[in-house]
Parts: sequence; structure tokens; C-alpha cells
Amino acid sequence: MNLDAWLSPEVSLDQCIKCNICVSYCPVAEVTDLFPGPKYAGPQAQRFRMAEQPTPDLSVDYCSGCRVCNEVCPNDVSIMEMNAKARAALVAEKGIPLRNRLLGRNELLGKVGSYAPHLANFALHNPISRIAADALFGIAKEAPLPRWSTTGTFVDWWEKHYPHRRISDKKVVYFHGCATMYYEPFIGVAAVLVLEHMGYELIVPPQNCCGLPLLSNGEFKAAGKLYDNNLRKLGPLATEGYDIVGTSTSCTLTLKEEAPHLLGRHDETAEALTHAVWDIFEWIREHEDELPRDFVSIEMVIPYHPPCQYRAHRVGRPAMDVLELIPGVEVHESRARCCGIAGTYGYKKEKYDIAMKVGEELFSFILAEEEHHHTEYNACDSETCRWQIEHGAGQDSRHPIEILAAAYGLYDLETRTAKTA
Amino acid sequence: MTELLVIGAGLTGLMAAIAAARQGARTRIIATGMGSLLWTPGTIGVLGYLPGEDEPVQSPFDALDALRQRRPRHPFALLDAQTLRQSLDAFRELVQSLGLPYRGAEDGRNLLLPSPVGAPRPVFLAPAGQVDGHMGRPEPYLIVGFQALRDFYPTLIAENLTKLGLKARAEFLPIDLITRRRDFSPIDLARELDAADLSRLTNALKRVAKPGERIGLPAILGLKRHAAILATLREALDAPIFEIPTLPPSAPGMRLAEALRAHFELDLRGRMDLGLRAIDFRAENGKVAWVSTRASARPVRHWAQRFLLATGGILGGGIVGDPTGQVEEVIFHLPLNDAPQDRKQWFHRDFMGPTGHRIFLGGVRVNEAFQPVDAEGGVAYENLWAAGGLLADSDPIAERSLEGVAIATAFRAVQRMSEVTP
Repeated sequence: MNLDAWLSPEVSLDQCIKCNICVSYCPVAEVTDLFPGPKYAGPQAQRFRMAEQPTPDLSVDYCSGCRVCNEVCPNDVSIMEMNAKARAALVAEKGIPLRNRLLGRNELLGKVGSYAPHLANFALHNPISRIAADALFGIAKEAPLPRWSTTGTFVDWWEKHYPHRRISDKKVVYFHGCATMYYEPFIGVAAVLVLEHMGYELIVPPQNCCGLPLLSNGEFKAAGKLYDNNLRKLGPLATEGYDIVGTSTSCTLTLKEEAPHLLGRHDETAEALTHAVWDIFEWIREHEDELPRDFVSIEMVIPYHPPCQYRAHRVGRPAMDVLELIPGVEVHESRARCCGIAGTYGYKKEKYDIAMKVGEELFSFILAEEEHHHTEYNACDSETCRWQIEHGAGQDSRHPIEILAAAYGLYDLETRTAKTA
Repeated sequence: MTELLVIGAGLTGLMAAIAAARQGARTRIIATGMGSLLWTPGTIGVLGYLPGEDEPVQSPFDALDALRQRRPRHPFALLDAQTLRQSLDAFRELVQSLGLPYRGAEDGRNLLLPSPVGAPRPVFLAPAGQVDGHMGRPEPYLIVGFQALRDFYPTLIAENLTKLGLKARAEFLPIDLITRRRDFSPIDLARELDAADLSRLTNALKRVAKPGERIGLPAILGLKRHAAILATLREALDAPIFEIPTLPPSAPGMRLAEALRAHFELDLRGRMDLGLRAIDFRAENGKVAWVSTRASARPVRHWAQRFLLATGGILGGGIVGDPTGQVEEVIFHLPLNDAPQDRKQWFHRDFMGPTGHRIFLGGVRVNEAFQPVDAEGGVAYENLWAAGGLLADSDPIAERSLEGVAIATAFRAVQRMSEVTP
């Protein structure tokens, strides 16, 4: 019997037995009355959502998309996907606020800022601008917005590295995403160092934003353009059989599944792309036998928070699996549901407080770890989550790939730069 | 490599994983979602009703022989009474050590606890917070509900208790003693009480309680601070206080699930991954090599030396029916004994009759080592065990044996698997 046919979001609502396990674990419904909980906004409201008719319930906009509901649902109902589609319908009806258009255009913002990053950082981060952005656009003035890299973009670094890159028969494609490109090029540096140390030659093809910020703000049409562009650029590599790894759990998820599902792209190239894309730790775990064991001596406790996107990847917690292979490294999982930021959710003025309350269980875990184990860093695979953790708990956060690169002695965790041999 | 992969995160899966991890095995749990413990009242039934009988069982251990006679292949017939007792003792010791004590009647008889509508529920072990609801106790009942709390009607409960010949009355208290939220579930209320100063609630209870009464409240007395809240109320009111389970979501079920999970993950360094629905497997040379789970781009393969199937029956999701009425075990497609095989067999004249429904009685048949057997009776896979609700020849809902079967068969399966080297 083909269960998958039953489990498209629309059909899977019939699997819902209204047991309320999702409501019991929903971190958003726990802290606000504005979101009634996944069961009500999802399978229950879904019965009243008809094509061509107005959306009956606006509260679905308060779903952060963390997918705790999907994870705990014993009946495999695609609750969050139902909500995402309902939000898109809402956007189609009501129009998109300028703020959400801005937040959806992460790549454009990144590119513009990178021409004059010092100026851009000043322009964005000075208190007056933040108050103005709060009042004019509804971008919460306290929210942890990123800073542009002042040492060049990732591709600037890659071009310098290119002549010295490892040449090998084993090749793998790297998808850096916008955050690594414009804000955190060092994440890409760490990824390149580790993958080359594993004996691979890197291919960094032209690429653009995966489209997730637009998707999560309900702008499906604009997101479709970005996805199709990537399909043109990456599709041929995927069809040739190259694996494409990414360090941003949200970008890899979008390329793999979110974009083709939500946008309805199911042709052969899209299928090939889906199957070619891996989250970097999912890929490393799969290639565990190629992982060198020449770790330098490193003694550390790492409080680790698996980002919500892993719930959608449904690959378990691969970064934990890999980090636990490093002698001397003790990984303590947060067991917290969500940091609260949920992509661009926590940037929004009306949602900032909710996001901070949701993140509270994670922040207090990080602080307790710091107190008991004198930890200097915590780790999380997703960039916006790291920024939120740093904002909420006041401790530096690192991508697990940085930890792994440091464990090989290739990378300095403090300065976030490659160590020269 | 994982030494034991447990599939399923209900009481069976958690107890089996804990037992194996305590023996030092690298153990991992995968499951579609949180297990069905959150649907249950958190009590441990061992045997509440014999098949076909309307009167509850007084003492489960005295009724085991009668059960085995009527259901010779019942999971309890595959293990001896001593093993059953050992497994229940192990459970009690475990939850006691986790700060979530369970008690039973001193004489080994079932407790009779009020259900959410005030009907008698035969239960062998109950959380310490529920035992004072036992119908064998002399104190009259005061059932206290809260206005606007859905699905908990103290008047109905008191009325049904009175019909059973017990002395009972009901009171309503305003909900703002606990929360000012617009909408709430019992779990929300429990969280509010975790953080609350209890004096307003205790004062309100003092005003309605009469001396000598015992006070029954909906099961909302905290999640993390449950024991402390219970103690505070008991001391302040100087009366027996007990919880009556609510409709799902169930705070007592969540307390148990979360306590067991935390013990497994934190104390035993086990791994539990949810949101992973097992869809396929590979067998080589008569052994299961891996089980795969549905994922975003490509299924994830979970390799292990041993596998324990604890996916539950039709309610837990280990057995599914399709629209034609056919049923199957979802991962290994093991033969199902006695389950309905077409739509007609799903229907019966006697709705809720004492014989129960075939879909609950049917299931996976195992040998005495709790290894699934094929149609010819041979071991299906050398390194596969099964336990809990998906086992054949027991109707855990009608028998009120669901949790007892889970605990005993998980215990026995792990015991038997550790007798053989992988």
C-alpha cells in the first residue's frame, strides 16, 4: 500500500486524530495567545480553507515554522506544510508588507551592503536606524540582524584560495548561500578546509539565494524565479552526479525539498537536484570512512543546539554524530525546542517578544552550561539561530564545521580564520 | 555502530531502550513521533478484565492462569509470573529514582480509579498523585473542576461515582486561579502551576472542602514540579488530594514519557530521534541489516546489530489498515495473526462488546524469546525482536493490560536478546 500518496499536506490532515500532542509541544502556543496551536491552525482550520474563498483564520501567520509539531506528531501529519501554504494564501489575499519584502530579499541586501560593508554596518546597526526601521518597517530594534563581512565576501576568499586549492579525482560541489557569501565567509572557509582535508576537490559554481526567505514570507512567485535560476546553474552538476553540500541547513533544505514541494517543481532536473543536495554533516556522516582521524588534542564541552531545519531534513542529528567522533569533545545537546528566531520570524516587531520567550529554554541551557563547564562557545548549524543564541544568551556561537576544522588544527575558533600550516 | 535500534518511542520502546542502555549497549530510538504515552492516563494496567467478562479482575496475578487458558498465546503466556513481577518491580524502582513514584494496592489487587467521566478503571500501579482516588478508600469524594476547562466535568464525575454507591459531590472553581490565558489545555495549566504561587488555589480549595473529604482535581498539578505541588496541596489542605486524568493531552502521560526520555538521553547517553518514520528495511542472510526512514531527499538508513520493533498496534501506528480493510505491519510486513483481512471483518453487531475488536486482538506473533515468527513458526529474522502493543493474541485496551504488556514484554525481549551474542 502506498502511504506516501496519503501523506501530502492536504490529505494528511485526515490522519490527524486531534490528540493534541502537537499543541502540547508547540513552543509558540506555549508563550502567546496569538497562536492557538498547530492543531487548530493546521488540520482543524484546513477543513475550512477552500480554494477561491477567503482564509478563515489569520492566526496562522503566528506559526514560526519550527516544525516541532511535525516531529512529535505520532501520525505523520504535515502540519507545518499546511500552515506554510495557508500563509502563502493569506499573502496572496492581503498583499505583502514592505518589511516582509525586505526580509525576503536577503541576497539583495547582502550584495548591496557588501560594496561598502563598514558603511552598511553603520547604516544598519546604529541606534537611530534601528529605531527608524522599527517604527517605519516593523523590524524589531533589538533583533539580532547580521553584520556584513568587512574582510570581503566568501567568493573573494575562494578566488584567492583557488590557485592553492586541493586537486583531486574526488570532487564535491559547495553551496555557500547568502549568509556565508556576505556575512560569514569564515563558515565557507571552514567547510573548504574540512572537505579538502577529506581529500576532495571543491567546485564552487555560480549560484544565487535558495529562495527560502521569500517562501517563508509567502512570496512564492519571486521564490520560484530564484529556484529556477539555481536549477539552471546547479542542475547540470546534479545531473552529472556531483554531490552538492551546503553549510546552511535552511538553504540545503530549500533546494532539496521545500522549494520543489511548495512551488510544484518536479521535473527530472529538479529531482536530480533534490537528490544531489546534502547538508554538510549529513554528507560527512555518510562519508565517515573518508573522515581523517588525525585530530589535534582538543578538550572541550560543546553545548549544541540542533536547528529546527533538521526536523524537516529528517536525517536525525548528523552534526552530533560526527562531532562525537572527535576524542576530547563532549557534545551536550540542548534538548530545547527552538531558539525562537525561526528564519525571519523573530526580526518582526510584533513577533520579537514571542521569539525571545520561545528561545528562553535554550538560552538558559547555554548559560547553565557556561556556568558548569566554563564553555566558551556553543554550536548550531544554522546562521540565524547562531545570531539569536548570541543575542539571547550572550555567548559566541559557532557552526559545527568550525569546530571540526578546529579539531584538525586547521582553523582558529576565536578569530574564525584558517590557520596557516 | 548502534548495538540496538529500538523503533518506537512509547512505553515499550522507552523501557526496552533504557534496559538495554543500562546493560551497556549503544542504544538508539527512532520513532515517527512522541509515543502514545501522551494519550494515556499515565497509569499501569496489568490485567483489568478477562476476555469476555464484564466484571473487573480483582487481582491480576491470580487471574493469569485464567487468562492463559483463554488466550494460550497471550504475551503473558510467553513469560512466567515471576518475570512479570520482576519487570513491574524494575519499573517501580526506575520511576521512583526519577522522582515520579508509582504505587499499587498493598495486597496486589487492582486499584479502582475514577476515569475522566467517573467510571471505575482497574489499574495495577498508579502515579502517587492518583492513588488516593482508589474506590476502596473510605473518604467521600469532592471533585473539583475549573470553569472553562474543557472535557472535565466534576458534576458528571460525581454523579457517576454516586451511581456506583460512593459518596461524592462536585464544585467548580474559577479558572483565573490558575491562568488568565484565553485558551488552554491541561498541559498549559500544568505549566502555569509549575511557575505559580499556589496560595490562591489552596485558599480556594479550603473554602469548598469539608473535613474528612478527599479532593479530586483534573490532572494539571504541574509537569516539572508535580511532586512538590502535590505535597504543598496535601499539606495545606490536610486532606488526600488526587488527580483524575483528563482527555489527551495527558499531563500524567507526558510526565512519564518525559522522565523516561530524559533518563535515557541524559543519564544513559542514549539517542532518541523523532520525526523519523520507518519505511523500509534490508535483510541479509536472515538478519536485518538496516531500517530506513523517510527523509527530505533520500531515505536515511539506520544500521544496527539488533532491532527491536516497538511500534505499537493499530493505535500506535505499528499496524495500519488501508481503505479496503486490509491491515499490515508497517516495516517488516510480518504476518499478522487474527487481524481482520477485509472490510467486512471490521464490523460487529455488539458495539463495545466484551469480546473486543479483532483489530486490537490481532498482531505480530512471537516465540518465547519475543522474536517475530513467520507463517510457518520459524524465527523471521535472527536479530529482530518485538514487544508491546503490536503483539498478537492480546487486546490491550479491553483487557486493560496495555502498559503491563509493554513493560513486561520489553523487559523480557531485552533479557532474551542479551542471552545471545550478536
